[in-house]
Amino acid sequence: MKQNFLTDFSLRRPWLVLLLTLLSTMLFAVQFPKVQFDNNPENMLDKDEHVRVFHHEVKEKYALYDFVIVGIVNEDHPDGIFNVETLGRIDRLTEQLLHLRQNDQGLPEVPPRVDQAGSNSQEPEVIDLRATGLWQTLLNSAFSHDPNRLFDERGQSVIISRELIAPSVVDNLKQDQLGSLKLEYLMESPPQNRAEAMVIRRDAMSNPLYAGTLVAEDEKAICLYLPIKDKTFSYTVANLVRALTSDWPEEDQVYITGLPVAEDTFGVEMLVQMATSAPMAGVVIFILLLLFFRKLSLVIAPMAVAIVSVISTMGLLIGLGFDVHIMSSMIAIFLMPIAVADSVHILSEFYDSYPRYRDKAETLRSVIKHLFRPMLFTSLTTMAGFASLATTPIPPVQVFGLHVAFGVGVAWLLSMTLIPAYVMVVVPQKSLESLVTSAEGDDVAKGPMNRILVALGRFSTLRRKPIVGAALLLVAIALYGISTIRVNDNPVKWFTPDHPVRVADEVLNRHFGGTYTAYLTLQASNPGQSDFAEQAIQLKAEVETRFMAAFPAETGRFLTELQALQDRFASAPGSETRKAFAELAQIAAEIDIEMLSSWYELADAINYFSTEALTWERFSVDIAGIKGVHADDLEALLSALAGQQGLTGEELISAALAICDQYTSRSFADFVYAMEAEMTAPLFKQPEMLNYLAGLQEALAGHAEVGKSTSVVDALHKANYELKFMIPPAGLNEVELAAYEERNRGHFAVPESAAAVSQVYVQLEGMKKKDSLFHLVTRDYQEANLWVQLTSGDNQDMEQVVALVDDYLATHPSPTSLKAEWAGLTYINVVWQDKMVRGMMVSLAGSFVVVLIMMTLLFRSLLFGVLAMIPLSVTITMIYGIIGLVGKDYDMPVAILSAMTLGLSVDFAIHFLQRSRDLHRELGSWQAASLQMFKEPARAISRNAIVIAVGFTPLLLAPLVPYRTVGFFLATIMAVSWLATLFILPALLTFWEKAACGDKKAIADK
Amino acid sequence: MYYIRTFWLMLVVLVLTTLNLTAAELTADEVVAKANQAAYYAGKDGRASVKMTISGAKGGKRQRAFTLLRLNTKDGNQKFYVYFTEPADVRKMAYLVWKNVGGDDDRWFWLPALNLNKRIAPGDKRTSFVGSDFLYEDVSGRSMHEDSHELLEITEQHYLIKHVPKKPGSVEFAWYQTWIDRETFLPMRAEYYDASGERYREVEALKVETIQGHPTVMVAEARDLKSGSSTRNEFHKVEYDLGLKEQMFTERFLRRPPREVTR
Repeated sequence: MKQNFLTDFSLRRPWLVLLLTLLSTMLFAVQFPKVQFDNNPENMLDKDEHVRVFHHEVKEKYALYDFVIVGIVNEDHPDGIFNVETLGRIDRLTEQLLHLRQNDQGLPEVPPRVDQAGSNSQEPEVIDLRATGLWQTLLNSAFSHDPNRLFDERGQSVIISRELIAPSVVDNLKQDQLGSLKLEYLMESPPQNRAEAMVIRRDAMSNPLYAGTLVAEDEKAICLYLPIKDKTFSYTVANLVRALTSDWPEEDQVYITGLPVAEDTFGVEMLVQMATSAPMAGVVIFILLLLFFRKLSLVIAPMAVAIVSVISTMGLLIGLGFDVHIMSSMIAIFLMPIAVADSVHILSEFYDSYPRYRDKAETLRSVIKHLFRPMLFTSLTTMAGFASLATTPIPPVQVFGLHVAFGVGVAWLLSMTLIPAYVMVVVPQKSLESLVTSAEGDDVAKGPMNRILVALGRFSTLRRKPIVGAALLLVAIALYGISTIRVNDNPVKWFTPDHPVRVADEVLNRHFGGTYTAYLTLQASNPGQSDFAEQAIQLKAEVETRFMAAFPAETGRFLTELQALQDRFASAPGSETRKAFAELAQIAAEIDIEMLSSWYELADAINYFSTEALTWERFSVDIAGIKGVHADDLEALLSALAGQQGLTGEELISAALAICDQYTSRSFADFVYAMEAEMTAPLFKQPEMLNYLAGLQEALAGHAEVGKSTSVVDALHKANYELKFMIPPAGLNEVELAAYEERNRGHFAVPESAAAVSQVYVQLEGMKKKDSLFHLVTRDYQEANLWVQLTSGDNQDMEQVVALVDDYLATHPSPTSLKAEWAGLTYINVVWQDKMVRGMMVSLAGSFVVVLIMMTLLFRSLLFGVLAMIPLSVTITMIYGIIGLVGKDYDMPVAILSAMTLGLSVDFAIHFLQRSRDLHRELGSWQAASLQMFKEPARAISRNAIVIAVGFTPLLLAPLVPYRTVGFFLATIMAVSWLATLFILPALLTFWEKAACGDKKAIADK
Repeated sequence: MYYIRTFWLMLVVLVLTTLNLTAAELTADEVVAKANQAAYYAGKDGRASVKMTISGAKGGKRQRAFTLLRLNTKDGNQKFYVYFTEPADVRKMAYLVWKNVGGDDDRWFWLPALNLNKRIAPGDKRTSFVGSDFLYEDVSGRSMHEDSHELLEITEQHYLIKHVPKKPGSVEFAWYQTWIDRETFLPMRAEYYDASGERYREVEALKVETIQGHPTVMVAEARDLKSGSSTRNEFHKVEYDLGLKEQMFTERFLRRPPREVTR
């Protein structure tokens, strides 16, 4: 028989087969040392994916980095986090993180605490993060993980110290003595007493850039944001912080979070799970098989098939140069049950039919003859299910799907070859005699499983109507459940609720504006300066209202010159605008000289007057001597000063200059410069635009999950407030004080002109922490970055925020039309998960159709094809129904499992239908066939179901949710598809016996 | 023969004199004192127009133009007046600095668009000057008494001096070194190093001209090696000994700039 060629060969040359298997396995295994791990979920998207490219552009443009967020919470102290001791510890920690360096041994080293005297005598503290336990050390070396990996190739710290955000290194702008303005760090030095700590509290809480971000609004927590060169350093940086704070007292709780930490920690723990969960599942499966078959030598075979398939697949993956990603780390977990399944069918049959032949080779031939077709079918459908993942737009999922498909193929091949060869070589004929004895005793037939199965078979053939009815009802409920499914994901929720990452996330998001960040970038949708012709029209209108009445002749001249310029620059590009303004300013200055030179001379001369012993007499004599002054201008000044003749010195000069100012301020040149500043201002120097941004932020603040948003507007508000702040003079009454306060509060706003905005910006540019302004706005002030903090990293919440912004932009037209685009890890997750979910749905639908076609072709019957699809359809519907009903989010792991559901749950149906058809042909009637069906074949199916369902229960203990999901899913898939196969298929076959049999006869006739 | 001998004699004399010149054995402190004098105290007073170009690491240039006045007062103290002329939106903005050797500087600024005259409380002098890569201390000079100086090397053209701060906690650098021209005593290059020995900042004189007998840096550049940004200052219309009056370095002249900067 040609279909048994492989098996025949293996039976004849078992040693050769074993040798070949060993050789090829070794070939794959030698690829292992080349392994590279990649635990960056961002790689779920192609490198060229727009959102990724854009995200990196935004990071570059605004010098943004991935942050490790370290939250320090003190809920015990009456002053909350603002107590002398805790602030001191925070300052020290900051100092240590800022000056982290590598010592001569390559170990991390931090400066010691500098004592009060400022002496530096203490040696630097060496922090060795290497594990002490053997297991951890082994794991680290297996995954080439260096716990002290805190430095780049050049030995520089991966913490970007100049961008670190901590109270000791962020700017503070505040009032100082005599109305002066102080620029310093928020915590210039650790407080020595409560009063100093209270000053830090006041400064921090009154700064909109810090409250809710750096310090919690409940004053119980402070966050440090540690920018790192690459997010793959976040796990080791988090460990460093843990080591540095390990001696902190109980009341200062340290929590470490942020998406980079969550993602990196997941990556590290996922590898640990790969090394523990999968083998543990293997051990449990092994024990179960041992319980079923009670023959160690036999049971080793399926384990060998599983291990060899996994090694081959991983070897191929590594050999082809793919990184082991979050997805591919789960290959072993997925492959094991599938690989075991085929061999369990063979063993189960072998076990049951050996007594009939009492010869290994003969038994195997017969078993494989029975099983060849169903096993081929099941393997092909499983492969199709996984290979269909290649159609998803997610590279790691494609790699995963194709490799699992390969692994399934290998497992099939091994089942056909290795198992027979193994049995021939390793299992002694003698040891199988016990099978004969037990069979003679009809142990199996009387076993509890057998009894249950036979009863079940009787039940499902007789009670077909209620069964089908119940199934339809359940499917209807499940369909409702599916309609309630929530597509949502959040990498932090890949951790179990008691995991430190999850706990930190929960605690810090309770205290702060949110640890999840997204960036909304804004720029003009059609940049390009407005041309001079347009500006000239505005200039004309403005000059007429301001100057025409007082200076008609000069205004006329100005207008003529402006018209000439307008004609000349009409067709010039926008970049020529500056030239036009420069020429206009020149002309204006000439007009000014003619019109105001006398006042200029006067003001300039007075400016230089010595204030010493200056009296009215001296003053009036001196001004009379100034050259180039019109007599009537002098007269005007003197008469305006009448009544102020008692003034002396500085006051007298100020009074005189104030009057001069009234005249000199009517300058055409000043007018031109001021207009140029307003009309050519870049987008985010325009007060209108800035106020629009403030409005958008207000709208964002209305969303429940948006804890805070920060933009350049917040920086402007604060700076303008502090610049314009006036300390009320002593001795005011309450009403006057309130007026002062209100006036000061009024300056918590965007300055009124573009020039004023620019001048405040210059102050912000010159803050102590250089360039921190440029995280929020580009250096040319044309584009802005709005930093949005969310208290939840759920995709759904991020999506809602995106929708809110879209809606705001649509309903509130901005002064200049804006292009808004999102970046940030929280947003990236939305994009790839959306792609994933859609991709999975398409691939599931696609593979459903493919499997149906395969089934129809393989059974050469549409009816059987449809029948084969029923258990898996019921299973998939039920499983997703359950997910919807219990309210579990449809997330990444759930999406991936759909492929597995399809592949696994079709298997039982194939085995069942194929064997039923064979038996029907043998026995002639469905009644007789069904009796046989519920013996050996049903036993094999049930053993498989139990092995896989129970075998993966260790996954339920994993600290990572995706692993638990897989464990739960496998058990459910097995249970449901087992039930669906053994209940629904017999019931339906009874319904359609005629059709099915007629069909069969047709085939038989061929 | 005679000629040859004369030639040798002259050569020996020449070499000896040259050696003698270098062997004048200036100490590090003397070199630094001379450099300080050359770089910051030339003449009694001075004026320059400066075009400042600030370049971000990823492109993006900002340009500013200002006029700088300097007056030497008593005991090494100085007064500076900075008046912005460009771009239009910061026109007439002005800064006033009184440098007090051995003490805190006094600083004020005037923001015309806000009609605001503000005093800045004494603080860190090593902060950015109007957002550029130059620091206030680069503009006004760092007191030589704050560092201890060590002469590392005398090259053909330069004295290489290492400066270590006396109070390490007060500054961001661990040490810095300057190349001081042996002829003009102008510091031609300065490199700043952090505690881990990494060079993170450079200031360089790119062009020197002699004006009214004073060697003067005409183009200077400061570079922030960590962020990748740099700032170039180009000096024009440099003049010394204009006879500036101390009176014009007062708050009154912030609001109403002196004719020395407006004309």
